[in-house]
Amino acid sequence: MRRTLQKRTWPTGCLIGVCLVLFVLAAPAFAKKNRVGVGFTAEEILENTRLNETWQNSEMGCVFWPLVYDQFWILGPAPDYDPLPGIVKRWETDDYQTWRFYLVENAKFHDGSPVTAKDAAFTLWYLPKSNPAWAFPDNDIREKDAIKIIDDHTLEFKLAAKWPGKYPPAYWMPVLPEHIWMPHKRRLGNFDNDECIGSGPFKLKKYKGGEYFWMVKNDDYWGESAGVDEVVFKGYGSNDALYMALKKGQIEFIGYNGASPLSVEDFKKAENIDVAVAPGLAFIWLSFNLHKENAIQDKVVRQAIMHAIDRERLIQMVYLGYAQPSYSFIYPELPGYNPDLPKFEFDAEKSKAMLAGAGYVDSDGDGIRNNPGSGGDMTFEFMVPSAWSDEVKMAKLVKEQLRDVGIDIQVKVVDLDTYYEFIYTPTQDKFDLSISSEEPGPNGSWIWEFARGFHHGGSGWNQAFYDNPEFDRTFEAMLVETDVSKRRQLLFKMQAIIAEDLPYGLLLRYDHINPYRTDKYEGHVLTMGGFSNWINPWTYFKLRPKQ
Amino acid sequence: MGLTGDRIAKLKTFIRLLFSHRMGLAGFSVIVLFVLMALFASFLATVDPGRTGAAENILKAPSSRFWFGTDDLARDIWSQTIYGSRVSLTVGLVAALITVVSGTLVGLFAGFYGKFLEEVLMRIVDFFMMLPELPLMIVLAAVLGPSMWNIILVVSLVSWPTTARVVRSQVLSLKERPFVEASRCIGAGSLRLMFGEILPNVVPLMFAQAVIMITEAIYAEAVLSFLGLGDPMRVSWGMMLHYAFESGVIARAMWWVVPPIVSIVTLIVSFSLLGTAVSDVLEPGYKEKKGY
Amino acid sequence: MKGFILRKVVAAGLTIAAIVCVNFVIFRMAPGDPIRMMFNDPRASAADLARMKEKFGLDKPLSGQFVAYVKGLAGGDLGLSFSHRRPVLEVLAAKIPATLLLVVTALVIAVFLGVALGALSGWKSGTRLDTFILTASLTMYSIPTFALGIILLLVFAYHIAVFPLGGMVTPASLFEGGELLLDVLWHLFLPALSIVIWYVGEYVLLTRSAMIEVMGQEYITTAYAKGLKKFKILKNHALRNALLPVVTITGVNLGFAVAGVIEAETVFSWPGVGRLVYDAVSHRDYPLLQGVFLLFAFSVVLANLMIDLIYGFIDPRIKVAGEM
Repeated sequence: MRRTLQKRTWPTGCLIGVCLVLFVLAAPAFAKKNRVGVGFTAEEILENTRLNETWQNSEMGCVFWPLVYDQFWILGPAPDYDPLPGIVKRWETDDYQTWRFYLVENAKFHDGSPVTAKDAAFTLWYLPKSNPAWAFPDNDIREKDAIKIIDDHTLEFKLAAKWPGKYPPAYWMPVLPEHIWMPHKRRLGNFDNDECIGSGPFKLKKYKGGEYFWMVKNDDYWGESAGVDEVVFKGYGSNDALYMALKKGQIEFIGYNGASPLSVEDFKKAENIDVAVAPGLAFIWLSFNLHKENAIQDKVVRQAIMHAIDRERLIQMVYLGYAQPSYSFIYPELPGYNPDLPKFEFDAEKSKAMLAGAGYVDSDGDGIRNNPGSGGDMTFEFMVPSAWSDEVKMAKLVKEQLRDVGIDIQVKVVDLDTYYEFIYTPTQDKFDLSISSEEPGPNGSWIWEFARGFHHGGSGWNQAFYDNPEFDRTFEAMLVETDVSKRRQLLFKMQAIIAEDLPYGLLLRYDHINPYRTDKYEGHVLTMGGFSNWINPWTYFKLRPKQ
Repeated sequence: MGLTGDRIAKLKTFIRLLFSHRMGLAGFSVIVLFVLMALFASFLATVDPGRTGAAENILKAPSSRFWFGTDDLARDIWSQTIYGSRVSLTVGLVAALITVVSGTLVGLFAGFYGKFLEEVLMRIVDFFMMLPELPLMIVLAAVLGPSMWNIILVVSLVSWPTTARVVRSQVLSLKERPFVEASRCIGAGSLRLMFGEILPNVVPLMFAQAVIMITEAIYAEAVLSFLGLGDPMRVSWGMMLHYAFESGVIARAMWWVVPPIVSIVTLIVSFSLLGTAVSDVLEPGYKEKKGY
Repeated sequence: MKGFILRKVVAAGLTIAAIVCVNFVIFRMAPGDPIRMMFNDPRASAADLARMKEKFGLDKPLSGQFVAYVKGLAGGDLGLSFSHRRPVLEVLAAKIPATLLLVVTALVIAVFLGVALGALSGWKSGTRLDTFILTASLTMYSIPTFALGIILLLVFAYHIAVFPLGGMVTPASLFEGGELLLDVLWHLFLPALSIVIWYVGEYVLLTRSAMIEVMGQEYITTAYAKGLKKFKILKNHALRNALLPVVTITGVNLGFAVAGVIEAETVFSWPGVGRLVYDAVSHRDYPLLQGVFLLFAFSVVLANLMIDLIYGFIDPRIKVAGEM
């Protein structure tokens, strides 16, 4: 009985379906808009528009909010990365501690209300308090009355400590409309924020969590209007699907992570696609656990390890050459970079000689050197998170290279959360060495918090249990030094101390590979880290249809 | 469990029947090939499968030097395929062994003693059988950590109930048979009865179960490894597929994907054929059909 | 009859209770500190962490935690997903429709196709057609779904690109109505196919052997003798009786359906609950993993309950005889 019924409805269903399709296709086409598709993986597309850590820490979040919200000031593009005015057109300071921000006067939020100093003050005070992920030394304001609203477009505030240097304070903060967020001031992250009212060059039109975010140009923007009408962030199920979408023209470029080195050849062969390669934002380094009682605590051993590692091979094997060796937490193209650092170049023979000279010989003939004191094999636990596939590959290569000089490595692959738990508490002794990665950015003096003495406020960020009072003194001095060249000297000294003491062994900085379509749009802005990342909203500001 | 003359004869007949079964023979021969592959891996492989190669050899198609090509760390795929047989066979055989032994013990005790013990044991068995296998294995493997032995443990933990149930049914029907009554009359104790009289008659069933369990274990290892729960320190076919899938270049490197898939499928099919042969041979009346 | 239903429901309820306990035990076995994982901000002080621990009840003794856990479950609180930073229930609920679509489509097609082919094979037992169907089914049954999925994906979505490379819809296509339906069907084809192929093998084998057994029965020969047409015999007598084991096996197979769904969704990036498993494994998101496990376990128990009840209605012998 059921079968016969099915027989009759099946062709009818088909017919209806076909009719529907024809009907929809015949419908008048949408007005031609310049709609720029940007590709992310479905995982990266935000699930909602809440102001929590995801705006700060996630791939899509940190690219999305600078389009819909204004910042106080924006990091300029390469090569200088100068601070450029955002909604603050001008800033002043006498002592680097009290600052005056002059806001643009004709700025309006997407709902029409004007942007005033009240909104800036609200953001400055409540954002870092409500969510520690947004609290940094450059927005550290201790009392509410340290923020003074001078007039509708002038704000004055006093930081807890001086903030000298090239950049003004209060970087990386979305200017929030006070009239919308005030009721949620204690817990900004709990507010739904579905409408996402900001004052930026784009408005959020519609979004579907995990699938897409559809933004349209803000026609009433106070500043330079965007060159395109719409930007759509699209989520794809896998990298394969993402790359295919780029080749088919469904997206113009990739939203944060760029493409894998293995796909470059394919993209170069594709029509209407070019590949732009930029130095990356992230450093990868080895963290040595100086708390755990073993040979790692011997500086000679650490130096020998660095000599045994062939950075070039890591670069070739894992990144197919798309990476550069690095020796410092400061990018080589910036003025603060110390070119005279000890480099510990790859030299297996030297490494072996150093180890032998310090008493680490293979006394039991098993190919592994032995500790002179206990006689046990030199075995180290190397912790790496399973989610970081490149780093897992590096761990395998490093294991092979260290084996060649007689050091045994046990690779301990853990899940990401366990990794974070263990790496920031070296006192738990869960690892001897580990691999770590961060993106400091051109103005990232916070990266040095990793080396701040463990017993002097460094605990929390300090992965190595490193404690050097001289470094701390130099670091503190650098933070408040207003003279540019003296500051530079202090930075040089800090880099030298770290390179000498080796709590961290810098390995490399991988390039950012950006395939992009060339047939419809132009004006892509390339900075370190590619076209689209947390320091670079410029591509979205400057992109326009090809003439 | 004594090997009486009668039992040896039965065993001989069983083996002869098995080998004359066309499908069974085919399956068995292929299995032997894989076992040889695993045993002589160091001779058959061309290089150390885990050793990364030179950068210019990354993702190369099959050639005279790399018979099955290379993967994204320039490791030789032929060698990986050869060595991968070790993990699949080890997991398959060991997990099946543990499953069948523990399942049989439970089935034996439950069927033989009956009453309360049987009720409790069978409730546990029912409960386990109700749980969806793969999610349970995944959760356990994720919690225990990635290692081959954890996979064996997890697979055994999830599979023993089926064997227990099957064995128990067999024991229940065997319990009533005359030869058991006869032994009881002579005064044989419970344990002697269980292990001396009943167990030998359960052995053929155990063997059939074992073969089925082997296929399940091989499949489970492949799936768990593919999902990322495999042992990263060992070369296994499932892990090969995992890396290929994760690499983002899976479409360009068919040579990376086809050997492990073909190996897994072939091994499973062979054991399935063997299993079909075994269950055919054990069918009452098969012996007579074949003229024995 | 009422007794039968009651017994089945109680049994299902007990199973669910046991599943909850097992889940709790597994959760406590998970490594790492769940609080640190949820707020992996290294700057969080010891005092902050202690406060969080208190808030989530993780400072109470194990028994207290268990009570809180059960209470939470009853209220629909499955914990917080580490990787999504949202309640697990929310994450799961959003993905269920996609999985249902895939599973139901695949199962329905597989059952119809498998029963039809199996009946045909059993009817023509011994012929070349039978051997062919049998061998094909055995082979298809031996291919792990994810392996088949990978092959289908590479061949039909990449090299001969007639189908999309995964996903459920063309991202941000803004399709509506009929267009959207076609888009989804286009994306549904390959993942459903990979599940169907495995399933069909099973149903073919089952229906075939049931068919062969039934065909040998006397009442078939009687019907033949009476002069009834072959096909009518097939439909009205043989098939109906062969279908009973098919219903049973569907229940037993739900566990395998779950496995197939997890594998197919992973390979084809189908945004359902199965794919969540893969993501949760990659991130070691234990709360999410357990949530999925609970969801699947409960579904299987409930589905089995329904099948048992249906079976009870179909086969009056069962109700009277009680359980085996």
